[in-house]
Amino acid sequence: MSNDGVYEGAHLDKDDPVLKTRGLEKAFGGLVATDDVSIEIERGTITGMIGPNGAGKSTLFNLISGFYEADAGSVFVNETDVSDMTPPERAHEGLVRTFQTPRRLEGMSVREAMLVGPGPQTGESILPLFFSADDVTREERANIEQAEELLERFEISHLIDQPSTDLSGGQLKLVELARAFTTNPDILLLDEPVAGVNPTLANDIKRFIRELNEEGQTFLIIEHDMPFIMDLADPIIVLDQGRVLMEGSPKEVRTDDRVIEAYLGGAGP
Amino acid sequence: MSVATWVNDTLIRDPTERRIFAALAVITALLVVGVFAGVIGPRFLLFQVALVGMYALLSLGLNVQWGYAGLINFSVAAFWGLGAYSAALLTAPNSPLGMGLHPVFGFLAAIVVSALVAILIGIPTLRLREDYLAIASLGLAEVIRLIILNERQWTAGSSGISGIPSLLEWLPLTGAATTASIIVVLLAVSYLFLRRIHRSPWGRVLRTIRSDEDLAKALGKDTYRFKMQAFVVGSVVMAIAGAFYAHLNLYIDPSDLVPLTTFYIWIAVILGGTGSNRGAVVGAAVVIAIREGTRFLNDIAFIGNLGLDVAPLRLLFVGVLIILIMRYRQDGLLPPKDELIWPSAQKESSAASRGAAASDGGVVTDGTTSGGPSDGGKDQ
Repeated sequence: MSNDGVYEGAHLDKDDPVLKTRGLEKAFGGLVATDDVSIEIERGTITGMIGPNGAGKSTLFNLISGFYEADAGSVFVNETDVSDMTPPERAHEGLVRTFQTPRRLEGMSVREAMLVGPGPQTGESILPLFFSADDVTREERANIEQAEELLERFEISHLIDQPSTDLSGGQLKLVELARAFTTNPDILLLDEPVAGVNPTLANDIKRFIRELNEEGQTFLIIEHDMPFIMDLADPIIVLDQGRVLMEGSPKEVRTDDRVIEAYLGGAGP
Repeated sequence: MSVATWVNDTLIRDPTERRIFAALAVITALLVVGVFAGVIGPRFLLFQVALVGMYALLSLGLNVQWGYAGLINFSVAAFWGLGAYSAALLTAPNSPLGMGLHPVFGFLAAIVVSALVAILIGIPTLRLREDYLAIASLGLAEVIRLIILNERQWTAGSSGISGIPSLLEWLPLTGAATTASIIVVLLAVSYLFLRRIHRSPWGRVLRTIRSDEDLAKALGKDTYRFKMQAFVVGSVVMAIAGAFYAHLNLYIDPSDLVPLTTFYIWIAVILGGTGSNRGAVVGAAVVIAIREGTRFLNDIAFIGNLGLDVAPLRLLFVGVLIILIMRYRQDGLLPPKDELIWPSAQKESSAASRGAAASDGGVVTDGTTSGGPSDGGKDQ
């Protein structure tokens, strides 16, 4: 990795990429938000994604998860082309995301909010509720058990009976992470997991992400909190003006002139 | 599950609810006493019971759409009218179709027609943001009313359809008692059906959609399917209420399909507690009590002497009631529970801690309540 100003882009030679994009493009009117983005996320990594405001991180997340339709390009999950799939279909392929500003689920306890995660569930169709009630009961019990274990593990089991509308922002982020994990994803996309979270809780979240990763969970994380993401992720992909500026280890990113330039602005080349 | 447990678990959750049910019991008792004292005609009272039951069905239907899934449906009167006209056209011998079929076919037609119309209106709107269904349903209500009004060769237009047969005339009861019993059975069956699907993973996905549809999608839920199912189920329940009304009133014309009915049902759901099945039923009873009760206000000497025609002010009473609810009980008279877990999957421990959580909130503190849900765990 050199600092000679040559455009390097992302590394597209991963051994076992769980997620791949090729030539993703998206424009809003005249504004090109995503410009020919090709990235690969290696299985088992925590990949960070940074970039100044307006660099196109959130747009890229929405393109990958299917909430925006791409103008051009494709997305692959486990080598399956998911470009024409809806967000729920992509989730079934193993690509699950969280949101920057999650809304609280009205009229649900934390326990119940956790139970939305696993799927597809037998009890999510109407007829089995009457004709295979035993299967629904069995699944629901297993899911409750899993939810309780995860909340215990994330050290928030004391919240289990609380209305989810009463959670603080940080607690909500933790519940979100735990719930996303119950979908058993191949790759989890986290959109600013510690935005607005107090430092203690942010440290907890870092620890839990690392633990899940050690057990094999792959992450792609957008985060503005530099110390957090530099400490947690490797590699890190840097976006600027809708393009991949570079990809490298935290150390390489930290010392790269172009990255500093992109963040601090400047005269430009 | 014993009756006492059910009462504890379902009816009496906090002191305010206890008072609400006590008030309802007192009013019911007064009405019964009134009948025995000869002040209230039994036929009149039974007719009101049938009306309340029908409104309760409509509210339950709207509650599935708005309360569970957050779907804004302004065509309650239209789906009700589709049900009523399906029943009337097929069963009345002198209807334009002139078939005079058994009422069972009327109810079946009501179900099929309302489900089809719901699907047709759902296909273009349910993939879009929620306001599109609101606008489309507003239009649908008028379109259906105008079609029924103007397509005389099919619907008899403004002259309406008379001669609709009564239901189950072979029962050894008066006509009013028969219809009242039928609506009670219809209501009970619908209630149990809706209660089960509400407390299930299916209902949970709908409640997630109501709060955050993108979240449900991101977790792999095909939200379009869930919204369509909720919309169809709610519309069918409304149409069943309509078919029942045709056999209750024995006559129907397009003026019954005015938007005011839709308005009353929305009021009932909001008053009762959006998302709560019990609330929908109680809300419907309150709305009917105001609508029908105010007819007699002028007969009370004191009010009559004011020289003011009070009865037409009933909408004002509804408005005042809404303001009071907004001020003092924002989630409605009987709001939904904070947690709806598939009943037979509830564990002893979670049930007990729920009881504890309830006492934390300073509400129900007696031991019977925390014992209640664990009994429910054995219920299959």
